[in-house]
Amino acid sequence: MAYPSMGEAHRRITDYLNKFCDAVSYQDVASLAQLFSFSSNSPSLLSLADALNFFQDANRLIRQSDKFSQFGEILAPLFRSLQSYRLGNLVEAYHAFEKFANAFIQEFRNWESAWALEALYVIAYEIRVLAERADRELSSNGKSPEKLKGAGSFLMKVFGVLAGKGPKRVGALYVTCQLFKIYFKLGTVHLCRSVIRSIETARIFDFEEFPRRDKVTYMYYTGRLEVFNENFPAAGHKLSYALTHCNPLREANIRMILKYLIPVKLSLGILPKTCLLEKYNLLEYNDVVQALKRGDLRLLRHALQEHEDQFLRSGVYLVLEKLELQVYQRLVKKIYFIQKQKDPSKAHQLKLEVIVKALKWLEMDMDLDEVECIMTILIYKNLVKGYFAHKSKVVVLSKQDPFPKLNGKPVNS
Amino acid sequence: MMNQATNTQTLASVDPNAVENRYVVNASQGQTSLYVPSTTGSEAASWNMYRVENHSAESGSFSNSTYHHVQHSEPSSRTVQDGSNATPLATSSSLGATNTQPDYGGYTSYSNSAGTYSHGSAGYQGYYSGYQQQPNPSYSQPVGAYQNTGAPYQPISSFQNTGSYAGPTSYSSTYYNPGDYQTAGGYPSSSYTHQTTTWNGSNYANYTTQQYSNYTQDSSGAYAAGNAGANSLHYQQHYKQWADYYNQTEVSCAPGTENLSVASTSTQLPQVSQVPGVSGGYPTSNSQAPTTFAPPWRPDSSSSQTPLLQPGATVTGAYDSYRTHGAPSFQNQHPSPVQPHFVKPLESKSSYGNFQEQQKTACPQLPNLQYPVAQQAPQNYQPPTQTVQSLETQRVSKLQIQTNPRIASNLPLGLPKLDKEGPNNSAIAKPAYISVSLPKSSEKVLSNDAADTVLKAGVFPKSLKSYVQKALALCKDEKQSAACQEIMKEIITKATSDGTIHTRDWDAEPLFPIPNTDMIDKNNSQNSTPVSLFSKYKKSPTRRTKSRWEPLEEKSVDKLGSLNNYAAKYGSLVPLDEKDRKPIGASSEGKTDVMKKIRFPQMEQKSASKTVQRQAKRQRLADASAADNGDASSDSDKEQNLTAYYSGAIALANTPEERKRRENRSKRFEKVQGNRAESNHFKAKNAGTGNLYARRTTALVLSKSFEDGGNRAVEDIDWDALTVRGTCQEIEKRYLRLTSAPDPSTVRPEEVLEKALLMVQNSQKNYLYKCDQLKSIRQDLTVQRIRNHLTVKVYEAHARFALEVGDLPEYNQCQSQLKILYAEGIEGCHMEFAAYNLLCVIMHSNNNRDLLSSMSRLSAEAKKDQAVQHALAVRAAVTSGNYVLFFRLYKMAPNLNSCLMDLYVEKMRYKAVSCMSRSYRPQVPVLYIAQVLGFSNGVLTNEGSDEKESDGLEDCVDWLKAHGACLVVDSNGEMQLDAKASSSTLYMPDPEDAVAHGDSSLAVNDFLTRTSS
Repeated sequence: MAYPSMGEAHRRITDYLNKFCDAVSYQDVASLAQLFSFSSNSPSLLSLADALNFFQDANRLIRQSDKFSQFGEILAPLFRSLQSYRLGNLVEAYHAFEKFANAFIQEFRNWESAWALEALYVIAYEIRVLAERADRELSSNGKSPEKLKGAGSFLMKVFGVLAGKGPKRVGALYVTCQLFKIYFKLGTVHLCRSVIRSIETARIFDFEEFPRRDKVTYMYYTGRLEVFNENFPAAGHKLSYALTHCNPLREANIRMILKYLIPVKLSLGILPKTCLLEKYNLLEYNDVVQALKRGDLRLLRHALQEHEDQFLRSGVYLVLEKLELQVYQRLVKKIYFIQKQKDPSKAHQLKLEVIVKALKWLEMDMDLDEVECIMTILIYKNLVKGYFAHKSKVVVLSKQDPFPKLNGKPVNS
Repeated sequence: MMNQATNTQTLASVDPNAVENRYVVNASQGQTSLYVPSTTGSEAASWNMYRVENHSAESGSFSNSTYHHVQHSEPSSRTVQDGSNATPLATSSSLGATNTQPDYGGYTSYSNSAGTYSHGSAGYQGYYSGYQQQPNPSYSQPVGAYQNTGAPYQPISSFQNTGSYAGPTSYSSTYYNPGDYQTAGGYPSSSYTHQTTTWNGSNYANYTTQQYSNYTQDSSGAYAAGNAGANSLHYQQHYKQWADYYNQTEVSCAPGTENLSVASTSTQLPQVSQVPGVSGGYPTSNSQAPTTFAPPWRPDSSSSQTPLLQPGATVTGAYDSYRTHGAPSFQNQHPSPVQPHFVKPLESKSSYGNFQEQQKTACPQLPNLQYPVAQQAPQNYQPPTQTVQSLETQRVSKLQIQTNPRIASNLPLGLPKLDKEGPNNSAIAKPAYISVSLPKSSEKVLSNDAADTVLKAGVFPKSLKSYVQKALALCKDEKQSAACQEIMKEIITKATSDGTIHTRDWDAEPLFPIPNTDMIDKNNSQNSTPVSLFSKYKKSPTRRTKSRWEPLEEKSVDKLGSLNNYAAKYGSLVPLDEKDRKPIGASSEGKTDVMKKIRFPQMEQKSASKTVQRQAKRQRLADASAADNGDASSDSDKEQNLTAYYSGAIALANTPEERKRRENRSKRFEKVQGNRAESNHFKAKNAGTGNLYARRTTALVLSKSFEDGGNRAVEDIDWDALTVRGTCQEIEKRYLRLTSAPDPSTVRPEEVLEKALLMVQNSQKNYLYKCDQLKSIRQDLTVQRIRNHLTVKVYEAHARFALEVGDLPEYNQCQSQLKILYAEGIEGCHMEFAAYNLLCVIMHSNNNRDLLSSMSRLSAEAKKDQAVQHALAVRAAVTSGNYVLFFRLYKMAPNLNSCLMDLYVEKMRYKAVSCMSRSYRPQVPVLYIAQVLGFSNGVLTNEGSDEKESDGLEDCVDWLKAHGACLVVDSNGEMQLDAKASSSTLYMPDPEDAVAHGDSSLAVNDFLTRTSS
């Protein structure tokens, strides 16, 4: 590293300090936020970090002038964090950053208006990212990663600062989303509940007043939570909201939403167009969709097996697995249509053997009892209208709409 | 350096002068001040100069802001209240306080014993300074004493003697104080009272500090002073380095002396109150004094004893009064420490008086002799002291012998009057202990008489009464009021002694602050029963020997040969201990302990945290020490007699073991000092203390070895070493939850545990027995920290047994342990238990996220495992509701998967039947249901029924009936489920074994029936 001269380092640091103080005094949040954005790796910050590492006693500069020293609590740890960050010591950087963030929150509390929200957003984001990186560093050193958890509790504190009445409430959703990200990453999604409750039960503040960005993120995460709960209609609603409000240019975001929305819609009996899957590179669902269309149980199982890890990780595996019944339904429906073509009068009586034969055809080795069981389940779940006559081993279909469509309703469970 | 210069100069100038000048010289820094006040204003000015010098020197070395502050504040206050006369005294006293501190710093490095004591004193200072606000109850007494003292002292021409003593500065100082007082005697008594009053009233804190410093010095007493003094001379001449030390020591002496003087006055109080002719009392005190003084330095034995005991005595006195009141107050405690000082001074003075009057020749000579020795031996600090000691000890014995007869001769003078005071006077007759007993008696008289008599006597003005009532009205509870009473007694005594009781405007008198009951409470709890406290302290040494620290210290002690000198001193200090550990030894030990502890609080105070708690703590400590002493003395009335015999044989008393023990103890203090010194160092740095720091570092180095030992003991706990190695050979062992550390004799080693596991696995007994045995095996493994394949085996075995009987809680315990063990890489039936885990999640947690995560955690290898595949298939069957598949899987379950599935069977069957009743029309044969729902034991086959299946028919019918199914018998005589009818009548019955707490597995009877096999 080419070290700056002492004077240069001094100049850079005081420059930064001046920027900070000016931003605060003019409530210029944009430039303030810039000053905190470590992960932007902006050249000015990097050079400042170099300067700080070169000019070891930056605290002296802070203390020197009243203008700076009033923010000493904020700036000193910020500098320390930046130094450590620059040196790649992320755990140290996180510690200092959390200190800085706490000090900033204190200050923020005292500001009546919410002008500094953007800066707070940056801090909330940075602390999460920093915590994730610090955790990675920790676990690579064989230590238990706990910084993200710490960041979570810090953000909870921030949420507390924002969640009350007043203009700062607008920022609550952003923090909530950061919290979601942390909780989902940590696998502690049950912690989301309290935050959600506080957002959704607050009547004084309309959800629509939150920034769109935050609304989309929020809906995405809550939709995912509903997927876990297998509450597909709600999940579909939330994810659709996220999809429709999402910036259409953000394809990555759209893809993330679709990743959950498609399985949800599938389980509601709504199939996506192939072009959608292609456009957003969600071809892992293609086979599933095809299986549903064709009633090809083998294809479904194959698709599930092929992408098992992926589906398990994203948490849609169980959702997709449940599509099996719809595949059976489709299969039976196909048999029904074929029978109907052959002999419309007897079409509504499906012999179990036929179904077993069809399944064998699909290389699904199932005996009569098993298929009978599945038929009863289909009937039970109202995917097939009719009854099963055990004695004759025949599925007797209703003459009216023997295969009711789901049309957005979930399968009876 | 500064100090040196001043000293030498003063010496030069002073030497030619008479005794007085010498005094000045000795005291040049600390004591001159004392002298000055008595003489004239001009002197006072000069004294002030000295003081300044000292001050500067000190400040140079130390940055004891607090102390400086004390000095300054004191003078001002005095001036405000009293006047010129008072000021010099006060300043001197304050100086004393300040000086003492530095002293201690120096001391620590030098001699442990001195160090300890000095520290103790420091602690006291701090402690008291903290309590400045409080009124000085104790002082009322001193005041009285002053007046009286004036008279008695005048007759005594102690100055000349001191002149002869010039060498022993410290003692000279003590003499001087008397001298001052004598002069004071010449003065109107009022002036004295003024001084005292000022001290009492305004500068109580200062006063106390002084006293305390004295106290410590006293205790080391004579001791510190003696050493310091002796050494100091040498140092002045030869060693610059020691200059600081010298100065300091001198200073310390000076304060001590000052206090002593005060003390003397105070001690006289009783006499005063009762006996107008104080002179009588003094002679008696002299009898004691000779011992202390004659041996001046090393005479420590005697002197030290006296101090030790005296404080105790006084304390007891104070305590007595407290007990009577039921609430010892902080203030009360003050007097007690103070009093000891006073007492001591008295003695010293008295000794002087005696010496001068009776043995003028003897006394001067002895001190002189010692001095030369000391001077010659200057280079090594310790060597000189030792020599001095030896000389001293010898002399001491001699002196004592001499003194005793004299005392006796004196006694007649004092006794008649003293007799009135109490039986204690009789003790005076006894040589060594006289001193001890005397103070005690006098103190008791003081506290009780002074307070009680004063209160009882109906002499008080009404305004005072109302004042008292007002004060009492402020008290919230008994304790407070008791404390208040104490305080008021002090106030009133003071006023009476002042002579202001009738002149004061009591209505306008500000109420003293009500003592903090919390603190009092604490004090009470600890001090209310001084005896117990004392006993505790007495025990403490023995306890300590058992503790982890002790052995280490002893070892390390051996390494420090250099400290032996110290030990010798120390031994001399506590001469009688061995013989009568309880009386003196115990007290001294206790005291030292206390001192050590006290030092901490003091430091804390330095750091400016004056929280009540800490104060309380300090107070407590002080109390403790006081209590110790008090008990020691009170306890040992008998022992005193005994010890009196031994007093002459001080040297003999020091057996090697005892000495060693002392050493250890003293080193402990040193260590403490070292630590403190380090912490102090940072503060001191600013002031640029070169020498001091160096000295402290040496102290640190010395103490290092100890610290190392200590740290090792505490911090690096070797868990491996603590792990139990079992020796039990019994294979069978009942499980008992440990409530204490495991006993190796009841813990089985690994080989035995292996056998035990085998035994359990092959056992035909029921699950309860197996569970009990396995739990005990697990416990033994845990306490021995065995984590290997055996551990895994045991947990696996237990988990299997638990699964077999459906004991899920136990299974979960094992499963969670196994998870950890597997994660540690210990081989086992990983797959089997992964399958169990999966099944557990599927069946019982009903949480998709858990299921997903445990599924995603399965490795590809695991997914190929038969058991895991089975579990996954079961999962699929469950999620899809495929009952046929489920029961098929149930029947071909590997390992114990079926056991876990068992727990889900009921649910699955119900689901299946409700599904059937909805889907089938018109009927379903029960036989078929029995087949697909696993009622039959036989493997389900595609072709009809065989023998085994029919076996399940009845069960199935029963089950269906129990669940509200409608069964009909068709034309073929086959049992059929009427699906349509059943669809509305099915219900999930309450489980037959339902229990109130919801966990049927906890129902003992049911459990027993299930598990007994």
